[in-house]
Amino acid sequence: MWQQVNSALSQSAHRVLFKLASFFPGLVALLVAILLLTLIGFGLAALMRRILVAVKFDERLARNQAAAAISNIQEWSPSHSPTVLVTRFVFWGCAFLGVIIGISAFDAAYSGGTDISVFLLPYLTHSVGAILILLLGNLIARFLSRSVLIGAVNARLQYARFLSHGIKWLVLVLTAAMVLDHLQIGGTVVDLAFGILFGGIVLTLSLAIGLGSRDLVSRSIEKNSDLVGDGPSIVEPPPPGSDSPRPPTPIDTLRHF
Amino acid sequence: MASTPSNVAANSETPAPILVPDRPDAAIAPSAQGTLLISLTTLPPEALEATLTNLALAFPAQSDGLTVLVATPDSSHPAVAGESFSNLRLLPYSAPAPALSNLFLTAADYLNTFKMAQEHQATDCLILGPESQSLTPESIRAMAAAILGTETDLLVPRYDLGPHEGLVNSAILYPISRALYGARPRFPLAIDLGLSLRMAERLATVAQSYTASGQSESILWPVSEAAIANYVIAEVEIGSRQLPQPASIDLNALLAQIAGSLFLDINTKATFWQRVRTIQPKRKLLQQRGPAEGWPDVSPMLTSFRLAYINLQEIWALVLPPNTLLGLKHLSLMPPASFRMSDALWTRIVYDFILAHRLRTINRGHLMGALTPLYLAWVASHIILADAGTPPELHIEELAATFENDKAYLVSRWRWPDRFNP
Repeated sequence: MWQQVNSALSQSAHRVLFKLASFFPGLVALLVAILLLTLIGFGLAALMRRILVAVKFDERLARNQAAAAISNIQEWSPSHSPTVLVTRFVFWGCAFLGVIIGISAFDAAYSGGTDISVFLLPYLTHSVGAILILLLGNLIARFLSRSVLIGAVNARLQYARFLSHGIKWLVLVLTAAMVLDHLQIGGTVVDLAFGILFGGIVLTLSLAIGLGSRDLVSRSIEKNSDLVGDGPSIVEPPPPGSDSPRPPTPIDTLRHF
Repeated sequence: MASTPSNVAANSETPAPILVPDRPDAAIAPSAQGTLLISLTTLPPEALEATLTNLALAFPAQSDGLTVLVATPDSSHPAVAGESFSNLRLLPYSAPAPALSNLFLTAADYLNTFKMAQEHQATDCLILGPESQSLTPESIRAMAAAILGTETDLLVPRYDLGPHEGLVNSAILYPISRALYGARPRFPLAIDLGLSLRMAERLATVAQSYTASGQSESILWPVSEAAIANYVIAEVEIGSRQLPQPASIDLNALLAQIAGSLFLDINTKATFWQRVRTIQPKRKLLQQRGPAEGWPDVSPMLTSFRLAYINLQEIWALVLPPNTLLGLKHLSLMPPASFRMSDALWTRIVYDFILAHRLRTINRGHLMGALTPLYLAWVASHIILADAGTPPELHIEELAATFENDKAYLVSRWRWPDRFNP
């Protein structure tokens, strides 16, 4: 009996050690590929920065209004000058390439059909996409949240912060669901939970505005229409050619331009 | 009507303003020789006819060798097709579709003017903006007299507006233009301009970069261009004039468009304005007529500011230093009757927003949106002050002086933005 136990243990240990021995070269290849491409990316980014600074890329871009559409892209990453944006793009592009090459090397290290590669590889590849989705979702949530907050405040909506938070969490929930779906975690449970949660939030907002806040919304709209001229909205001038324009009210007399 | 030339010696090692004293004796009737091109923007038929009538009255006879050319994009009008105004030579030209807002002179206007001036060998140009039918013949003559046969490169009119008009100009454009470029004109974004041929060429060169990329409606800043080129800038009082008003575009979008354009211009001309140190002499204050209907109610603007103070603090905190935030806190607690935004506080706010625009501290669209409630607070403060008896023009002059005195702050933060700023 002990012999059988010993044999089973030794075979099990042998199998595990064999798998680890075949796992490590792939892992080392993955790490080396990432490290090497990251270093190359670092070097390329530094070189690119030197070149762009030498040719005064930022100033040229600011002067050349044709690139206005392009320069809008950089506003998604605040405080980055176009030069920094380009260099970071180069750096992260190389790092991303390193990850892809590493995963490919990792995959090649196995004969295929092994348990580790079947379970680990999809997660490695999907996790890169999931991280990107997460980052993008956070950026969009922050951008939309601020946009709604500023727009609502300038429209003098008392519930500006509530709207801003609502938008932010809607986008974050959507992002979280996409990330989990991308990682194939939870399966249909996530889809179902997300559908219920998202639908619930939208329905709640609709009911709140349609029923509960009906008076608030109508008051807000009436208030805004009364205050035209001195706030964010501007008075419409009398129609051209009209002989007897309406007598100006004190509010109408304020002109910002 | 007095004209006031001034310029800034920017190309020297130690830039210093050269101020030419007022010339109240400027001739009203143009007696200089040459060819004057008057460029009109797109006008409705009745407005065009009224403008041409005023022009014909302004230049009754083309004596003394003066030729007046009038370029208009409205070539289908019978007055243009016929020869109703024999003393004016009308030159129809094809212009792009009128700008959406049609509030200011655009890049296309400057480019068309220069092309026409070059084609017809004009010596000087006058650009008359939208609603030019409200300009009197005397005003047009005064502008012509101030640009023809003089050394002036850029002539900017000074309008006699009511104290409740042109508030963005009073709060932001004029103080910044004066502090940064040492330029005196009260309306840096005037919609009527007098240009020498070389000034027109310079503006056309700048305009071309915009029109080539399909941005014909972009706003240009002639005063800063003239200041950079060390050209002579003059100002002429032309009395009252009807300014075009936006039909349905909201204040946020317009403020973002104008202030955003100004901030971009400041960014591109940073190497120039950092070297300019000027303190403009006190200007003659125009006697402004108060609003006949009384001052507008400021409570909606105060509500807007207080709402913004509650909700936008985290965004303002990214842009403004703690001291300014403290000032805003005190402001939010003030009762409406004594609501007063100090000139120093408003100056710092504008300077910090210029800096945040440059550094892209936050998205530029968000930045401009966050400025709107602060601007409304300044307007409310200005109105309350005027209602209490302070002449509005005096307040604006004091504000401009504060911008000048505090310019060192902007220069310092521009050069060392990461330095500790309490």
